[in-house]
Amino acid sequence: MRFDDILRLCAQNMFRRKSRTILTVLGVIVGCCSIVLMISLGAGVSEQNRAMLKQMGDLNIITVYRPGSDYGTASSTSTSSSGTGADGEVKLDDDAIAAIKNIPGVVGATGQMTIDYPLTVSTDNGRYYTTYVMIDAIDMAESATMGLELTQGESPKRADEVLVGQYFAYQFMDKYRPDGYNMRNQPYDAGDGQVTQCDNTGNCETVPADEAQKPFFDPLKSTITVTLGSTDGSSSGLAGSTGSGASGGSTGSTGSGDGASGSGASSANTFKFKPTGILKEDYNKGQATSTGMLLDITQVRAMLAKLDKSTALKSTSYTQAMVKVSDISQVPDVEQQIRDMGFGTMSYEQMRKDLEQQSRFIQLMLGGIGAVSLLVAAIGITNTMVMSVTERTREIGIMKALGCYVRDIRMMFLGEAGAIGFLGGMIGCVLSGVISLGLNLIVLGGFSWEHVRQAIMGGDDVTRLSVIPPWLFVFAILFSMAIGLISGFGPSNKAVRIPALDAIKNEQ
Amino acid sequence: MGESEHGPSRPIIEVRNLRKEYPVGDEVVVALERVNLRIPKGQICCIFGESGSGKSTLLNQLAGMEKPTRGGVMIGGVPISRLEEHELAEFRQKHLGFVFQSYNLLPNLTAVENVAMPLMFRGVPKEQREAAARAMLRRVGLERRMKHFPYQMSGGQQQRVGIARAFVAKPQVVFADEPTGNLDSKTKTDVMEMMCSFARRLDQTIVLVSHDGNMASYADRIVTLLDGRIIDDTMND
Repeated sequence: MRFDDILRLCAQNMFRRKSRTILTVLGVIVGCCSIVLMISLGAGVSEQNRAMLKQMGDLNIITVYRPGSDYGTASSTSTSSSGTGADGEVKLDDDAIAAIKNIPGVVGATGQMTIDYPLTVSTDNGRYYTTYVMIDAIDMAESATMGLELTQGESPKRADEVLVGQYFAYQFMDKYRPDGYNMRNQPYDAGDGQVTQCDNTGNCETVPADEAQKPFFDPLKSTITVTLGSTDGSSSGLAGSTGSGASGGSTGSTGSGDGASGSGASSANTFKFKPTGILKEDYNKGQATSTGMLLDITQVRAMLAKLDKSTALKSTSYTQAMVKVSDISQVPDVEQQIRDMGFGTMSYEQMRKDLEQQSRFIQLMLGGIGAVSLLVAAIGITNTMVMSVTERTREIGIMKALGCYVRDIRMMFLGEAGAIGFLGGMIGCVLSGVISLGLNLIVLGGFSWEHVRQAIMGGDDVTRLSVIPPWLFVFAILFSMAIGLISGFGPSNKAVRIPALDAIKNEQ
Repeated sequence: MGESEHGPSRPIIEVRNLRKEYPVGDEVVVALERVNLRIPKGQICCIFGESGSGKSTLLNQLAGMEKPTRGGVMIGGVPISRLEEHELAEFRQKHLGFVFQSYNLLPNLTAVENVAMPLMFRGVPKEQREAAARAMLRRVGLERRMKHFPYQMSGGQQQRVGIARAFVAKPQVVFADEPTGNLDSKTKTDVMEMMCSFARRLDQTIVLVSHDGNMASYADRIVTLLDGRIIDDTMND
């Protein structure tokens, strides 16, 4: 028998018992839908997990620590205290950084330093000052690789140029204003272009970003004076900066000129810098991106050398380092190699693994629930096929008597069962696609073409409840069809065992 | 044509020492016993007998629908009682036709599709086989019933479709089990004459089972069965 004839007979038989076929297909639709939707909800959970991890930090940056120091102590250990590095087996110095850079998959690495001397930072002839500034240092050449972003300005190029944090200028107090009124309120990003500001009485309000309170000065147009070692005697530091005669608040060109002259000032613990860019706040890259200053390692070394030659020369090792890996899949491998070198490491890899495992578990569980309903549908198909075979006993006998091959009869019934599964799978996929779209639209907050696009394609900051990867549709259709074929296997075997004689025996 | 039974040509159907038993409860019922029969090509042979005489069992044996307990059946030299299921199906497609008492048309197929069915099993393309089927239906006088379904036709019409189906593939042997059993006497005559004329034209063999003496008169030869044995074998004039 030709294949198209078998298909035609299948279609005829299915059409003959329309309502029964429709009900059976409906069972498969429900089963297919529940599997697809359940898995898509699981996929949604894992997508949300990924988005969360992404927000937490760059997944392909590994933080490296000196051996023996753990995360908590590392940040508080001084760069200059090289003595603690000496008793470790391996030094996290420039040689180690170079070695790490040679690991395949590493696209960049930099050591990190922090100045933890007491310090005073001032500008505008000392009118604005603060003692709460964290000064970090990295290899500026790697700043772009490490994902540091600027909101304004550009990367420093000269020896006296630096970057400052997004809210750096809000840390300053005005010495001419009374206590309680001598600081500007730092805004916090509230999303959608809004910021939240809280005053010193604790009242907060949310306003558009451009209406936020401006700091006292624009760092890009100022020269910053850093005075190391002045713990509480801020007057001495201020005196130093006044003495240098820096005219802060003036234009950029004069400011940089002042800075150049300032660096050569007599006071050994006073340094002048010209900010060229404002960093985007990112806590994963350190406090400096928010309220601190970010310098190049050579600048910090020069400062320390000026301050105390004897210790500075020895301080070649870093407290920690950042390593950027080209692809997230290489993170575990690179991390292991760095560990093998004797360093401690930290990345989000372990957390990512845990979350992934968790979401896979959720997917499996939800998929299992869906599978139960497809199992019920499978029983429905078997039932339909058994009835169909029983009803058509006589017909099968006639066909056999007239010389129909057994394999054609089997094909006919398997084709019918498979078609029920296939139809159910197809319609089920379409339906679950629509339901998934609806769920996502609800989460995204109503209908709009932009939301429809986001619901289907996803996006960097789109939260989707239900995520259907394309393979899931293909899988669901094939799976439904397979379920149909398996369910039809028993009944079709029953059909082929019907003897031709039955056709003649079953007299009316 | 009766002479050919004793002629030099090999008989188309040859039954040798056939025995068929059925278990009924604890007992064994012997339906056929030591049946020997040779039917030459082109003969219209009627197997005649009362109900329970074993005539239907013999037809089933001849058509290869059941395996014999002992002995064997050869059709055209092929031992059909020893064929595998697949070989048997192929043999039926090529060499056998069937006419049933209750017509046995497939209810969801039209007259044309029913007639074309044996050709469909052989893998003949749709246009070709339906053209052949339409030609057959014209020959049985149903040119106006081509697209009708079985339930839209009378018993006589249905049986004519059945005859068209049996002959469409030009089989060597056509088995007819009480083909007129459900018909009125006028239609009976039409149906029998039609079958016989078809068979004569292509020198096809018909094995007819009947308990109706009038129908037996159309045959060349009447084989009478009683209690599973051949008790009489006579040639018609």
